[in-house]
Amino acid sequence: MTPVAGERRWEVLEKIGAYAAGELEGEEVREAEQLIFDRTDYRRLAESYARMLVMLSTLGSEEVEAPEVVIGYAVRRANMSAFLRQAETFLGSLGRSYLDALIYYFGLRPATRESYGGDTS
Amino acid sequence: MKLEGRDLVVAASRGDVEAFAKLIRDNSSLVYRVALRMLGNDDAQDASQEVWVRVWRNIRNFRGESAFSTWLYRITVNTCLSIRQKEARRDERELGDEMPYLSEPSGGDADPETAALNAERREEIQAALRHVRAEHRAALVLRHMEGLSYAEISEVLDVPEGTAKGWVSRGRAAMLVALAEQDGLHRTAEAEG
Repeated sequence: MTPVAGERRWEVLEKIGAYAAGELEGEEVREAEQLIFDRTDYRRLAESYARMLVMLSTLGSEEVEAPEVVIGYAVRRANMSAFLRQAETFLGSLGRSYLDALIYYFGLRPATRESYGGDTS
Repeated sequence: MKLEGRDLVVAASRGDVEAFAKLIRDNSSLVYRVALRMLGNDDAQDASQEVWVRVWRNIRNFRGESAFSTWLYRITVNTCLSIRQKEARRDERELGDEMPYLSEPSGGDADPETAALNAERREEIQAALRHVRAEHRAALVLRHMEGLSYAEISEVLDVPEGTAKGWVSRGRAAMLVALAEQDGLHRTAEAEG
């Protein structure tokens, strides 16, 4: 099969697929119907598409429950992550307080003029 | 106070683990379902867990510009695609000289057992899906199994609507080729047996 012929066959394959899915409009519908009317193998192709689409939608509409282990794992991870975030915030502020205390203790902070609102001039 | 929908998302984005747990319970089937369709049984569980880890990590950045479900679909599909990155160019079936077709089910289309899909058919569908290129498979699953519109698919996959349509179309054709090949093998085996 030449590449052009192969491409043309894919084109027909996709066109009949779109027709079976009800996604064509206007002139395209007529073209697809003409193809199906003219050739038995295209008619069989359209029927196969219709069958496949029914199978897909049947499978898609079935209820699927996630295993409890997935839910449990996700909740545990979120809990752990939230705990670590809080611990990080707590330890961060604790560290900053200790640092402030050390700076004060060793007198490392540069002296600042404190104002209580009175005029110093 | 019982939180629902948008309030639940807002509370979770502020770090409320209880709200996040409810969000997981409400949406766990969506995530697992898509992962199952895209990856199969073996990887669906790990992928779903990874999705929720990513959701928790990023929910603070969720601004509500799209529906929460769209955002969740996007994270789920991206997670599945990243898991399947290595198989992105997986062996898509070639179109042979004959057009692909599926044999009619033995009980006819009206057979309720056929409509409910037997285990064998289910496996065939799952196996055929694996032969569809990952992006096309994602688009196909979202369109024909999740029932999303092309506008929604384009938002989830972050591609123009025309690209989303092309991917669905390509995926549909590739899926039929793969399914027909399995069906053919099945018929040959039955004839020989």
